[in-house]
Amino acid sequence: MRLLVLLAALVAAATCTETFFGHQVLRVVPQSDEELQKVQELQELEHLQLDFWLEPRKLGLPVDIRVPFRSLQAVKVHLEASGLSYSVMIEDVQALLNEEKAEMLRSSRHRSVDTATFNYEAYHTIDEIYNFMDMLVAENPNLVSKLEIGRSTENRPLYVLKFSTGGTNRPAVWIDTGIHSREWVTQASGVWFAKKIVEDHANNEGVASILETMDIFLEIVTNPDGFAYTHSTNRMWRKTRSKHAGAICVGVDPNRNWDAGFGDAGASSSSCSETYHGPYPNSEPEVKSIVDFVKSHGNIKAFVSIHSYSQLLLYPYGYTETPAADEQELHEVSAKAVAALSSLYGTKFTYGSIITTICKCGGSPKTPRSQNHPSHWPNIPWHSCTVEVRFYTL
Amino acid sequence: MPGLRASPPALLLLLALALPRGSLAVQQLEPGSRSAAAAARVALQYRNFQAGSLGGLRALGQVRKATLKNIPESGHKYYLQFSTEDYRTGEDAGNCLATVLFPKKKSRPVVSIKCSHTKDQKEIQEEDNKFYQRIRHQSKPITASNIPDSYGNIEPALEPVWALAVAGSSSIMWEKSTETLGYFLAQVKSARQWMRKDDFIEFDYTVLLHEMPTQEIISCHMRLTWLPGQPLKVKHFCAPEGHGAEQGSGAESGSAAGPAAEKGASF
Repeated sequence: MRLLVLLAALVAAATCTETFFGHQVLRVVPQSDEELQKVQELQELEHLQLDFWLEPRKLGLPVDIRVPFRSLQAVKVHLEASGLSYSVMIEDVQALLNEEKAEMLRSSRHRSVDTATFNYEAYHTIDEIYNFMDMLVAENPNLVSKLEIGRSTENRPLYVLKFSTGGTNRPAVWIDTGIHSREWVTQASGVWFAKKIVEDHANNEGVASILETMDIFLEIVTNPDGFAYTHSTNRMWRKTRSKHAGAICVGVDPNRNWDAGFGDAGASSSSCSETYHGPYPNSEPEVKSIVDFVKSHGNIKAFVSIHSYSQLLLYPYGYTETPAADEQELHEVSAKAVAALSSLYGTKFTYGSIITTICKCGGSPKTPRSQNHPSHWPNIPWHSCTVEVRFYTL
Repeated sequence: MPGLRASPPALLLLLALALPRGSLAVQQLEPGSRSAAAAARVALQYRNFQAGSLGGLRALGQVRKATLKNIPESGHKYYLQFSTEDYRTGEDAGNCLATVLFPKKKSRPVVSIKCSHTKDQKEIQEEDNKFYQRIRHQSKPITASNIPDSYGNIEPALEPVWALAVAGSSSIMWEKSTETLGYFLAQVKSARQWMRKDDFIEFDYTVLLHEMPTQEIISCHMRLTWLPGQPLKVKHFCAPEGHGAEQGSGAESGSAAGPAAEKGASF
């Protein structure tokens, strides 16, 4: 599925950075032709990877050079040996960049008025994301609409964006992000996906061709109660916020609550556990509403769920070693998706079925199964994948 | 006598058949496999702790080669070849060869590891000294919380405090790791410096470890001392699981559900 390939590319694009730890910016002011020449010599030494912010031009004019940490020693020695005095303008370029970024984020806390000025590089609150969704719909009324598929335990609306160019009940792709509330990079990715789908359609590239014949459903904040809790109280909250009769602790792992291999190894029956499966399948309204939506739609062809972290692209099954019916095709599609993803910034994703990839246990008898995803619902001919995004943080 | 001369190979064959099955079992693992990566991570956690260097901290790059050997009565031993990255910058830091033995009896993994480097020792020492000076220069004891913050940011001024926590918590993660349980440092919940009359730096930390594949968030308290060039000294205690610890989704803290976490440091 081309969408999967493009999704992978979206994810990679969202996670690239370059850093300048320990880089310094030195200023030299050549006062003689000799000195000027010595500075110009530095420009020839490509292996030093110097970045001239102000090139050497005339005598008496400052020359500013960003020097990578590795080359500092060599450059300073060269300057001193040449009798050139220099001053350190910036002691640590990365520190300065970090400060600037923090400042930008602080100032971006004001609500943006349209999706063009929305800050896609910052994490947002649930209100900000819901506001973003409304803006996107308002700006693109012929492409995007918002559906409410249910309410969470704490009565928050569960919103799904529908991207459609027309038709009636077209075959569709489902994408969800944020089912585990602490995996903030996934809700942020969902926001970006939404924007990217609209942009692609406007520029007639990327997923635009898919939208000619298919719809896309995107649930960005799949676990809003958990998400609100990560903002207000506990950044590490993963589960829902339901309290079931007889349970000591709060919350169910929504990704163990599906009705496929329910209660198998890989899920816990203890309510205090991070992987508590809940009292029964679909006990969580966040999960049930998706089940109801998908079943009543009847024409979902692909189901993609985004998690962090691990850089994995996974397909069924998690609860059994029996290969999925279309395992070969899933494997091929995954290979293409991972290659496309890697083509942008070299980001490497591993791929395979959940049971073989998450647990290649060297032959140990108990292979924990970790997902009982709707993707595993029998008798539904569709593709389904879980994408584990990068980031060594939750 | 021809019969006797022929016997050694036959004897060996007999021995091989007599030995318990799987005793010489050696398995090539896919370099992309979870268990190979997990073992490599344990090896690096061991090294990050033992090296006692903040500038030399490394993260796992890619596993290139992995073999698993079952050693009866002893445990499972991994033989690994992998690339590494600088923990902070992500730059290539060199390759490592390591063995990791997960003992059958519940004790910490036995690691041997040897790495090449892209940074020379002098560079690393300079970085360590820089980190050391940045901490020593404070006139008041450093206290801080939530590093990184909820948004993944680390205040530049707090980098040395964080790097020290990474090195120290590596010892906890290495010791707790098993063949099926692995750890990542999720966050430094709090840090507090103790001023000393000698040159050593001393800190109290609360760190949150993310346990895989259980997804649990484990809260550990650690006390460490450090001097560049010396091995780290770490004492730790981790809260037992399922104990109403506030971290993670596991349980609800009592009536005093914590307020939104405070950011920042006071120097």
